[in-house]
Amino acid sequence: MKKNNIEGWLFVSPLVIWISLIILVPIYIAFELSLFNVKIIGTSGKFVGIDNYIKLLGKSKFLNASLNSLYWIIGNAICQTFFAFTIALTINYKFPGKKIMANWIILSFIIPTVVVVVIWKLMLSSSSGVINSVLIDIGLLDEATGFFSSPNKAFISLVLINSWRWSPFLALIILSGLNSINREMYDASKVDGANFIQQFFFITFPNLKSVLFVLGLVGTLLSFNIFDIIWLITKGGPSSATTTLPLLIYETAFTKFRISQAATLSIITSFLLLLFSIIFIQSMAPKEDD
Amino acid sequence: MIKEINIKFIFLSLSLLLIILIFFFPFFWIITSSFKSPEEIIATSTTIIPRSFTLEHYNKILFNSDFFIYLKNSLIVSFSSMIISIFLSVSAAYGLHKLKFYGNKFVEYSLLVTYAFPGVILLIPIYLLFAKVNLLNSYFALIIVNVLFATPFAVWMLKAFFKLIPNEIEEAAYIDGASRYVVISRIIVPLAAPGIASIAIFCFIISWTEYLFASILISGDDLKTLPVGLAGIVGQYQIDWGFLLSGAVLASLPVILLFVFIGKYFVSGLTEGAVK
Repeated sequence: MKKNNIEGWLFVSPLVIWISLIILVPIYIAFELSLFNVKIIGTSGKFVGIDNYIKLLGKSKFLNASLNSLYWIIGNAICQTFFAFTIALTINYKFPGKKIMANWIILSFIIPTVVVVVIWKLMLSSSSGVINSVLIDIGLLDEATGFFSSPNKAFISLVLINSWRWSPFLALIILSGLNSINREMYDASKVDGANFIQQFFFITFPNLKSVLFVLGLVGTLLSFNIFDIIWLITKGGPSSATTTLPLLIYETAFTKFRISQAATLSIITSFLLLLFSIIFIQSMAPKEDD
Repeated sequence: MIKEINIKFIFLSLSLLLIILIFFFPFFWIITSSFKSPEEIIATSTTIIPRSFTLEHYNKILFNSDFFIYLKNSLIVSFSSMIISIFLSVSAAYGLHKLKFYGNKFVEYSLLVTYAFPGVILLIPIYLLFAKVNLLNSYFALIIVNVLFATPFAVWMLKAFFKLIPNEIEEAAYIDGASRYVVISRIIVPLAAPGIASIAIFCFIISWTEYLFASILISGDDLKTLPVGLAGIVGQYQIDWGFLLSGAVLASLPVILLFVFIGKYFVSGLTEGAVK
């Protein structure tokens, strides 16, 4: 199709302007703030140059939160890939009730995050949670455990809860990729004697490239960004074990009232995420033949 | 052959069981719990089949709380965000995937990269910006951010649908003298309807579930949305579980109802739009 420059830009411009205004202006404001030492929102501070950056990079809190964010992304990627593929491959089979399940599996994604928090706070409660009593009944636990009481347990529980929310949505997108794979490839491979595990690794997986590209990019960025689930359940504790970068930024700005420091953190974080995105797109973008 | 069918069967049954337990049982649990007596909800010996039945929690939340105010706010914000998002993303997707212009790949990827500037990072500067232009404590403040979070992915979702529409149909219409406006409203939009339905519900969900910005940009009680109202109960030292659970069920009801009607477009839109 021939290029249609002016009209093309005309159609994308409302969205592009909307998004750039709401991203670029705030980023500029954040950058400006990061060069001053403003404490409480609305007050003014004095110019300190790159002091905030130098101070911040040496802080153990920043290092701790960055590591937590890294573990958070990796943990979520592993869990969500596992759950999402299990769901997608299962729904891809024929079985009674398949339609209903395909439609409603996404329930955990369409409800408000706060409701997700309520569900799991109740289910994992140490005093009256159903999970604890089931685990005790089947003999896996001797007594009720607090799922959010130790650093490791809290972190793992949160990763699982967040994966519970996102996996079904990802599963449907993977399913869209599965649907686009030519059925004949499976038949041909069967003739050649491939079993279904081999089929998965040699046909299914490679053919999902363009879907997995978008999921890898957007999924990582969205995982990184998770704030409400962590904040509403553990507030970043116990002893900062679940304080990821978004929580650190929030805490710095709204409970410690160090606006400039929070802005500095925001700028560094944006820079890291942007770097990740560019590298990811450069190295993984599928080649399109249109 | 028989062996392979058996393995498949075992794999399928096991994963079905797992999926039902993990992804559906929790809903059964909070819905039934919301009808239990307060004593039964916090009892140390949990009961899978409820022993008590009461409507007191629903009574309390419906007639003795700000539920309807929050509901109204959530509905206004979510519907407005949804409508604006639809217009902006359909227009952008049309430009990106039907017109092809210089720099369209760049715009397409840049849109996805906007997720590199997520929530918390923008929170403080957006707060300051909105304070300057007097947008704090307004529905519009929330609508602006919801659109920002919903549209990039919505445009990507529309791509598959727009690609399925053959260019020949459009070209034939132009030869017959149709204007761009007629082509879009009479051909593109109807043919991409399932795709538009899926982005509609996606945008609605994103707005309906948004908590972070709603909790910071809105301070007046009369403008709070449902998630913020609910989170207020979660944060209390002594949680009134019955109250909270009935609130959680009611807050989920509108999206679930919407899903009953257009959910199948969303799911088939996601799964059959086929990202080829």
